[in-house]
Amino acid sequence: MHRFPIFKSAKLFLISFGFVYRANFLALLMGVMFGFLMSHAGATTYDYHAKMFLMIDFQLMEVIATAVVVSMIGVFLLKKFHVHAISTGDEVDFVKKPYQKGLVTGAFLFGIGWAMTASCPGTVPAMIGEGKIGAVFVLIGLLLGTMAFGVLQTFIAHNGQVSDTLK
Amino acid sequence: MEVVVWIGWIGGLAIGLFVILHFWLMGKPAGCSTGYGNVCGLLSKKLTYYRQGEYSNPNNTKLWFLIGIPLGGLLSALGSPDTWHLSFDMGMYEAVLPQSNAAKALWLIFGGMLLGFGARLAGACTTGHALVGGAMMNPPSLLAGAVFFMSAMLTTQLLFNF
Repeated sequence: MHRFPIFKSAKLFLISFGFVYRANFLALLMGVMFGFLMSHAGATTYDYHAKMFLMIDFQLMEVIATAVVVSMIGVFLLKKFHVHAISTGDEVDFVKKPYQKGLVTGAFLFGIGWAMTASCPGTVPAMIGEGKIGAVFVLIGLLLGTMAFGVLQTFIAHNGQVSDTLK
Repeated sequence: MEVVVWIGWIGGLAIGLFVILHFWLMGKPAGCSTGYGNVCGLLSKKLTYYRQGEYSNPNNTKLWFLIGIPLGGLLSALGSPDTWHLSFDMGMYEAVLPQSNAAKALWLIFGGMLLGFGARLAGACTTGHALVGGAMMNPPSLLAGAVFFMSAMLTTQLLFNF
């Protein structure tokens, strides 16, 4: 077995650690940035949601419209120059969400949830970071709802046998 | 908790640049609600739906993205003039939501369940469909974004005006 001096082995450890976990680390940084921006854009403030849907103030509409236009230009440029991703080294994959059965029903239920809680899955964790207690309850509900969908899908996959679903 | 809110187009510009940066760094579209599936897979080993396909490895970038978001919210709150404190105040919603704290908590849990179930049934949340899907001009995402908005608007109008 090879033995390296302590500094060299520590350096090698850090390099291999970084190599294995760099995608997760970058994702963590991206998450921090997303939460920060969502918070400063006003998406974590309850009143902006109510004001948008009551057509008093269009802060969030401005935010999403500008964001979509800016990122549309960016997506166009990334596609045109066949840019390669930093974490994977492969060309950026613009995988599109397909149309799935129940999309309209799901979107309708989601909209009711949005109006009831004035938050969406992306802003709930940021609200918790800001110290909004309400967001903790929304998070509990979110996990329960996601869990319910998984249980339903597992139930269907097992041909409706309850005993097989949660064995 | 009051945070500093930027002018609409500056916030939008920053989020648009964020979406591009996410594409460039991670090589795939940004998304939030899929990460909750990973959490469910970690919570219950018996739930095979969140243990296969795109969820086969629950400890992936989607999960770490989700873990990062509260830190971002905390940083934003610490950078604002108001000192960080816990609050259960919901602004304009105080007038239409139940008055007792327990009933308000139940209301929020029920709303959260609709968000979680609806997001999985529709395939993505506001980030995945309206923001990133809109940027890629994906027709199903545009449809989902329009339905999100219409149904939320209808419900808010019912809540505040009837």
